[in-house]
Amino acid sequence: MSAILEIESLRKVYADGFEALKDVNLEIKTGEIVALLGPNGAGKTTLISTVCGITQASAGHVRVGGYDILRDFRQARSMIGLVPQEINLEPFEKVISTVQFSRGLFGKPRDDAKTEQILRQLSLWDKRDSQVRELSGGMKRRVLIAKALSHEPKLLFLDEPTAGVDVELRKDMWEIVAGLKAAGVTIVLTTHYIEEAEAIADRVGVIAKGEMLLIEEKARLMDRMGQKQLEVQLSAPITEIPAALETYALSLSEDGCALTYSYDTRRERTGITKLLSDVSAAGLVLRDVVTRQSSLEDIFVGLVHAGEEDAT
Amino acid sequence: MNLTAVRAIFKFEMARFFRTIAQSLISPVLSTSLYFVVFGAAIGSRIEEVEGISYGAFIVPGLIMLSVITQAISNASFGIYFPKFIGTTYELLSAPVSFLEIVAGYVGAAATKAMFIGVIILATSFVFVDIQIAHPVAMVLFLILTCLSFSLLGFIIGIWASNFEQLQLVPLLVVTPLVFLGGSFYSITMLPPIWQTISLFNPVVYLISGFRWSFFGSADVPIGLSLLAIAAFTVFCLAVIWWIFKTGWRLRQ
Repeated sequence: MSAILEIESLRKVYADGFEALKDVNLEIKTGEIVALLGPNGAGKTTLISTVCGITQASAGHVRVGGYDILRDFRQARSMIGLVPQEINLEPFEKVISTVQFSRGLFGKPRDDAKTEQILRQLSLWDKRDSQVRELSGGMKRRVLIAKALSHEPKLLFLDEPTAGVDVELRKDMWEIVAGLKAAGVTIVLTTHYIEEAEAIADRVGVIAKGEMLLIEEKARLMDRMGQKQLEVQLSAPITEIPAALETYALSLSEDGCALTYSYDTRRERTGITKLLSDVSAAGLVLRDVVTRQSSLEDIFVGLVHAGEEDAT
Repeated sequence: MNLTAVRAIFKFEMARFFRTIAQSLISPVLSTSLYFVVFGAAIGSRIEEVEGISYGAFIVPGLIMLSVITQAISNASFGIYFPKFIGTTYELLSAPVSFLEIVAGYVGAAATKAMFIGVIILATSFVFVDIQIAHPVAMVLFLILTCLSFSLLGFIIGIWASNFEQLQLVPLLVVTPLVFLGGSFYSITMLPPIWQTISLFNPVVYLISGFRWSFFGSADVPIGLSLLAIAAFTVFCLAVIWWIFKTGWRLRQ
């Protein structure tokens, strides 16, 4: 797959001296969904704004579909759709005319069939003649997406698409994203909801303090970083861990009914077989065995934390 | 040149104008009629002719200029300030359009609205006074240039303003006095010599003088100078806007 977005050594220092991006490198392949995770103020929005031309880079290069965003700004920007974080819309304008305006602004001739298709896809067709201010917050967000899609972009940026959105709408949004991916649109979304990245992304990047800490396939990331836990549930409670099991660094649940063992899936020997035989040798009777894999959230918190420790 | 984009912006802006067509047109027509009643009929009847023209007719070019300049500035400044205020400039900045296209769309729409109003006021004045237009082509040219240049100025004000007070500040504190003191209601030859000299530093004098010349064939300053002044003003505004987009001043971080 060819790269649709190439970012090289991108740096952004704001007028007040704040360094929002420090030497960011990123390559995004055609057709994938990439989630950029990071705490507030990490530089996610600055990164997107710079690619889209809203913010001027201090240094570095960005190419979209092979076109430099400064030198060939027309070609580059024609390929990009942007859904901003804030709901910024002309309140008195009709839904359909604001979407048609966006299409025209991006240089595409009016196409009623296309506009209808986009509005239907986003369940906005029935509201097409409503003024934007009459819509609910969730509907307004859909209008933002419709505007961004109006010129049929190849690369769509969704900046915090589900911030402050209720659970139901969030699920809807994920479905919309899945539909766009099926239609061949490359999607970059920022979020600070880990579950969102986990639910829809192919790759996950983690940004903190203007640096790309890592970017990796979601599954690989979770594999690589994944700590697994084995919970051994006992048929009768115990008050303390038998001495024979001390080497395993087990933790005992409060009710005394479960022992938890942490292990790394990457290690050649996880020690599970020996643990289980030692448990039965110690005279404990097993009721059930459960394993758990750490979520992206655990990985993320671990990474951002490590980053902060490095900085100090 | 992304002409589709220019057309999109232009149409979008004109839609705003037509949405509020009543207030867009009624208020200038009403205020102009009031001027005719007060200055033309009530006071004007006691004023002798100015340069051989009845006072009611004499003030027509100035009145049109007054409205056109005010409207051009307020339309253009609001047109670009409002997207800034509600945050929709992100779309303009991320679109494949150059500054010239953005300006052509916004300023073109603002100038067109101002033209509309200018023409309507001219039509209204035919109801009140008897006027002939000596140089119709020059009249239209002056009208277009005035609409255009002051829309450019309005665009700059709209980008500069960071709140609604500032948006009103320049038109109120600078433009209105310049227009009133620019000979809208009198010929500057009626002033004492010292004030005549001071008036020559007021750019609006050249506009109104030139515009009045196209109606009556007489002017305070030579017509060539008037044309030069307005051309220079247009170029100046364009240069400022070019600089704004080049540096991203107040638009792009």
